[in-house]
Amino acid sequence: MPSCDFLHVQAYDGIVLAKVAKERLLDAAAINSLGEGLNQLLDRYPKISLVLDLSEVGYLSSAVLGKLVALHKQVKTLKGRMALAGMKPAILPLFKVTNLDKVFEIHAEAQLALIAYRKKPL
Amino acid sequence: MAAVRILDDPVPWPAEPVLDQSWPSRVDLKQQVIDAIAAPILAAGAVTENERPWLLLCLDEVIVNAMLHGNEGDPTLLIRTAVAIDAGTWTVVVADHGEGFSASAVPDPEDPDSLLLEHGRGIRIMLQWLDQLTYYQRGTAVVLARHRPGAT
Repeated sequence: MPSCDFLHVQAYDGIVLAKVAKERLLDAAAINSLGEGLNQLLDRYPKISLVLDLSEVGYLSSAVLGKLVALHKQVKTLKGRMALAGMKPAILPLFKVTNLDKVFEIHAEAQLALIAYRKKPL
Repeated sequence: MAAVRILDDPVPWPAEPVLDQSWPSRVDLKQQVIDAIAAPILAAGAVTENERPWLLLCLDEVIVNAMLHGNEGDPTLLIRTAVAIDAGTWTVVVADHGEGFSASAVPDPEDPDSLLLEHGRGIRIMLQWLDQLTYYQRGTAVVLARHRPGAT
């Protein structure tokens, strides 16, 4: 299991749902811990179908966006795929203004992302 | 959206700050610094509760930048912070002892080559919410400002 204690992971039929159970993703320790936890997921599931549930995240910094971009690049390199889901209205504009909404597959809810991945297995 | 400005002008420290305090460049103090700056702004109702995430995000960006990039995390170097609030606007000033930066160092999010960089989004994000984001003295000090709710 990931070392990040606020990253809750469940695997369904080859699809990994990882929920970030933390409201504030601002301090370096939390951001680094999240990065480590996500990297461990890729070690365990190299060709991953990852749904990252951000529904509990109310605050994040641009450093978190950097971690997500790094993860996205790794996932693509390993021929996997990832989606972000459940973002609060206050968080979504951060992705739009940085054009990252064009980089990430974004779903309103984690369940919708899971359904989309089930319909199109890797 | 506001545009970032980088000037060589002297830092316009507020004449009547509600906070003017210096802090060692220790990241473990970051939250304390952010809370100290945000407290008078929130207490004055100069930022709505709905906008609190934006305020904290902007403060996080400039405090981390001053401590880690400006002062390179040297705890013997101080960052100076000031807050001013008037009838129409709140203003935050943060200064470090670094060498600053140039506008060319800020990635353009419209450039496909910069889209997947892992850094360089902070300014773009802050500009989305702030009415003013101006860097002084080659980027070693920054002024953030936004109109209060209902002010024009």
